[in-house]
Amino acid sequence: MLGRPDIRLVVIVAVALVAVFALPMLTSERYLLRVFTFVGVNVIIITGMALLFGYAGQVSLGHAAFYGIGAYASAFAVINLGWPWPAGVALAIVLTAAGGFLLALPSLRLKGHYLAMATLGFGEIMKVAFVEARPVTGGPDGLSGIPYPAIGPFEFDTAGLAYWLVWGVAAVALLLAYNVVRSRAGRAMRALHGSELGATACGIDITGIKVRVFVISASLAGLAGALYAHVVGFVSPSTFSLHVSVLLVAMAVLGGTGSLAGPVIATVLLTLIPYSDAVIPGLSRSALETIQEWQEDIYGLTIIAVMLFVPGGIGSLIRRMAPGRGEAR
Amino acid sequence: MSLLQVRGVTRRFGGLVAVDAVSFDVHEGQIKAVIGPNGAGKSTLFNVMTAFDRPNDGSVLFDGAEVIGRRPHLVVRSGMARTFQNTQLFEDMTAHENVMAGAHAVTKTGFLAAALRLPWTVREERDVAEEAGRLLRLVGLGEWAETPAADMPHGLRRLLEIARALAARPRVLLLDEPAAGLNTAETASLAEALYRIRDAGTTIVVVEHDMGLVMEVSDEIVVLDRGCKIAEGPPRLIQKDPAVVAAYLGEEEADEL
Repeated sequence: MLGRPDIRLVVIVAVALVAVFALPMLTSERYLLRVFTFVGVNVIIITGMALLFGYAGQVSLGHAAFYGIGAYASAFAVINLGWPWPAGVALAIVLTAAGGFLLALPSLRLKGHYLAMATLGFGEIMKVAFVEARPVTGGPDGLSGIPYPAIGPFEFDTAGLAYWLVWGVAAVALLLAYNVVRSRAGRAMRALHGSELGATACGIDITGIKVRVFVISASLAGLAGALYAHVVGFVSPSTFSLHVSVLLVAMAVLGGTGSLAGPVIATVLLTLIPYSDAVIPGLSRSALETIQEWQEDIYGLTIIAVMLFVPGGIGSLIRRMAPGRGEAR
Repeated sequence: MSLLQVRGVTRRFGGLVAVDAVSFDVHEGQIKAVIGPNGAGKSTLFNVMTAFDRPNDGSVLFDGAEVIGRRPHLVVRSGMARTFQNTQLFEDMTAHENVMAGAHAVTKTGFLAAALRLPWTVREERDVAEEAGRLLRLVGLGEWAETPAADMPHGLRRLLEIARALAARPRVLLLDEPAAGLNTAETASLAEALYRIRDAGTTIVVVEHDMGLVMEVSDEIVVLDRGCKIAEGPPRLIQKDPAVVAAYLGEEEADEL
């Protein structure tokens, strides 16, 4: 808090960074890299969700829609408009930020669960829009043949390069978010989560802060979408449906409040569930199918179990291991 | 000109007139108390004065500017800070962080500047941390800096809320029943803190039930009964005022005073 970096924290982050970025050099298995690229995409989304849910205490049930808007916007801009990929990313961010602002401003002025309801409705509307807006989205069949991410002449055209790109973006997003949460802005988020009256009495514009956090989280989802579409090369409406929104909420809840590390760990765990065969060697095909069949139930049970037994999520467990300060990490 | 002017404030809830055409002034450097029996309209008046509630009629001028109709966080930023009858602390945050949050009104770091960790934001953060430590010591909570608010005893929580309000560097500090639930020793240290705060140049308005505290610390007292102002003056005159004794003190025990 006072600029004293905790040595243990620095070491853990450094080791995690080295491990994450060394993976493509340790393995050439495309499937494994692809799975961990998905993890990285989800980490980008969850960075925004951690700010929105874990710090500001707001629930969104529609972030898959922003993820989808980002994916389609960037894919459309690159394929149909011939824009370079970075411009597609910029479009994805601008559109999702604007969408987030228009959705959040009216619903956040009201007290209670209006934001959750509005985002739920928004998610369902966008799911229909993704199916119906054929000229842009390709309808239920989706868009295929989306080119690899490219900056100038440089293409991220291998599994390893795509992995590095996604995790590079994720690391930057996490660093910026880490700077925010231990600043005045971070305190304002935690304050309004703690007591809206108290926050107002501190001169905090609670609606303004909520809208800002919502816009940030929406545009991070949009950015993740713009990465996903080009890394995978194919998008379809099912990738951005309600169950993805619920998965994101499950990650945020399991990750816990007032923490960034918790949600990241939760994201790694929950993202890997349907791809268990990538990390558990020799997992039988039938076992994997069973896991995939029960995937949604695992997410639902995770939310319930966390609420019942560890309301603070993984974040609170981390804090308990590093006692002494109530500081946010 | 007085720092705070309350003019004809009326607040109705349906058919009930909670505050009825109340007017009074608060002068710079004063400790002014608003007292009255339960249901006299003290807290309603208090919420109107701080823009947390809107009156049906009347005006509240702070340093000549209208408070009514403004968004409450902006009123705080203009120099009016408050506490709550039911403390509104940030329970998961430490005492020190609570007070640092109180400095929100007088600091600037936004999301973008914080994300980029611009050099001036680092300086601002350091200054806020130091100031928060100083304010905690001012109210006698220096030892509690790293304790989460949720783990602090009731009496100290009220002091913490006062320190948090002071972090906004207010010209006037409004305290809603600061002595509620405090024991004698805690009330005494609260009185000490109030003197120190006033002597440092902050005007104080205190809405209070505890007569001992009010008679000791206030320069002037406004007495409300059933929404109306029935008396105003220095403590020794208020104690003898027949209307006050009849309406308010009679309800408790007049001979206590």
